[in-house]
Amino acid sequence: MASLGLSRWRKYVTPYLFLLPTLIIMIVFVYHPIVENFRSSLYNWNTFSGQENWRYVGLDNYRRVFDDPIFYTSIKNNIWYAVISVAVQVCFSLGLAALLESTLLSRFSSSFFRTVLFLPSVLAVTIIGITWMLMLNPSTGLVNQVLDEIGLAAVKHTWLGEEGTAIFSVIGVSQWQWTGYVMILFIVAIQAIPHELYEAARIDGANGLQQFWHITVPGVRETFLVMTTITVIGAFKVFDIVWVMTAGGPNHASEVLGNYLYRVGFRNDEMGYASALAGVMFLITFALSFAQIRFNGTMSRETE
Amino acid sequence: MDTLRTQSSTTPSRTFHVNVGRLVSKLLVYVLFLVLAVIALYPMVWIITNSLKTDIDLFESTWALPKEPLWDNYQRAWDYGIARYILNSVLVTSVTTVVTVALSTMAAYALARFDFPGRTFWFLFILGGLMLAPQVALIPLFRTLVKLGIYNTYLAMILPYVAFGIPFNTFLLRSYLLGLPREIEEAGLIDGAGPVRVFWHIVIPLSRPMIASAMVLQAMTAWNEFMFALTFIESDDLRTLPIGIMSFMSTLRSEFTVVMAGLVIAALPMILVFLVAQRQFIRGLTAGGLKG
Repeated sequence: MASLGLSRWRKYVTPYLFLLPTLIIMIVFVYHPIVENFRSSLYNWNTFSGQENWRYVGLDNYRRVFDDPIFYTSIKNNIWYAVISVAVQVCFSLGLAALLESTLLSRFSSSFFRTVLFLPSVLAVTIIGITWMLMLNPSTGLVNQVLDEIGLAAVKHTWLGEEGTAIFSVIGVSQWQWTGYVMILFIVAIQAIPHELYEAARIDGANGLQQFWHITVPGVRETFLVMTTITVIGAFKVFDIVWVMTAGGPNHASEVLGNYLYRVGFRNDEMGYASALAGVMFLITFALSFAQIRFNGTMSRETE
Repeated sequence: MDTLRTQSSTTPSRTFHVNVGRLVSKLLVYVLFLVLAVIALYPMVWIITNSLKTDIDLFESTWALPKEPLWDNYQRAWDYGIARYILNSVLVTSVTTVVTVALSTMAAYALARFDFPGRTFWFLFILGGLMLAPQVALIPLFRTLVKLGIYNTYLAMILPYVAFGIPFNTFLLRSYLLGLPREIEEAGLIDGAGPVRVFWHIVIPLSRPMIASAMVLQAMTAWNEFMFALTFIESDDLRTLPIGIMSFMSTLRSEFTVVMAGLVIAALPMILVFLVAQRQFIRGLTAGGLKG
């Protein structure tokens, strides 16, 4: 142990010297804000009101949250975001990863496709958002033209301008951006599965699909659970792609929680109400994170 | 296709059957991945080809290659001030990355190598930051930054980025340190080096691969960050690329092809870094198993 050459005093104090800057920064910029957010959600205030003009309203802001139809639209959209992302980014990308790691593709094409599919995830959300805004736009739009060419003119839409399609267009773009990223994580997990298992299965006459179900899926189980929970938590935190592409419109149809609280706070300047929305968001993401820890036990194993 | 199928049913040779099946699945898989690759790449190709056209050409034939490349769009996008945004992004990203990874390595060393009361508590305390949605801290952070007098300065981005980057990086580096043999460090301590010298001369050089991966991932996160940069910066002079591109877009809303040229310029730095540092990307994100 590192205590070898150290006196008692140094043994106890030195680690704190290494930790101190981190702890100070985290207290000031992470933990203090959480506490502060709960306090400020109990008041009505705006950016111009000094502390003395904060009006105490108790839990009124929270009551307002649960009477607010836009809040429910937001939650519904967050849930759609989570469901579709788990289906595409987690389940579909696991299939893709298994195919890329199978012997069906040559080594070169496998690594080529891997890189190409990963590429969208390194680009900034604004760049991706604006690119797809241009492509979904009916006048510059590529998407509607493609639909025309392949005989699907009937499904053309003003994608970001219609209440029925706006949030799904944004969710679709997110899948475009992140599927390759999750796929890479699955590829690494698959590579860690002992090769002999596949060989033994082949000798026993198992086909590709059987190998996938009986070896690959159990082998990546942990990665699968972690990716699912991270994706679900991410779906409740989403902000930037929605803000860039629709800003929650038209008529709040594509609002998500993170987006709505930003608008209420920094556009409508109702900081107390926005803090209450943030408080609700804290409870949701905290509960999900906590479930993840209980569920996966990753953290507890880490600390043992 | 049809001939193949009749043949395989008339000659029930097992190996032949399997080979045909394999050939067909091979073909299907290649087609699937080719389609996906086109879907992944074509938007970027589309932006590039159209960034070299006039707006009229864009509306007339979105598929066509530019008649003759109109580099003027790039000149105009550049003149709008993209260089300024890139410079701001480089500054904010590099300071954030160096400070975050330095502090995280220190914290990880303390947590992985010292046996002191409260070790588990402080580890969970730091890791707890991962569970927090940044939106929850947004409004109070805004007030704190105003109170500290650093709202609308580079520090208004850097300090929150560091604070929110530390948990993940500490987690990553601590796991890596736990996996390293302690013997060299112990030898150093027996030889009379203090913990600081051991950290500087032994721990950091040994952790170099993981430090590099952490830096690449942290840089990518900071480079692309949107919400804090949008909220904590007011003046155009200080804007980073993601926000700058937004204001660029709203100013030039009707000049589509110039906007496209701007997007290409904005995307280039990250794509170049990715192509150079691919291995570090993959190592870092697989070690952490996390995504933005």
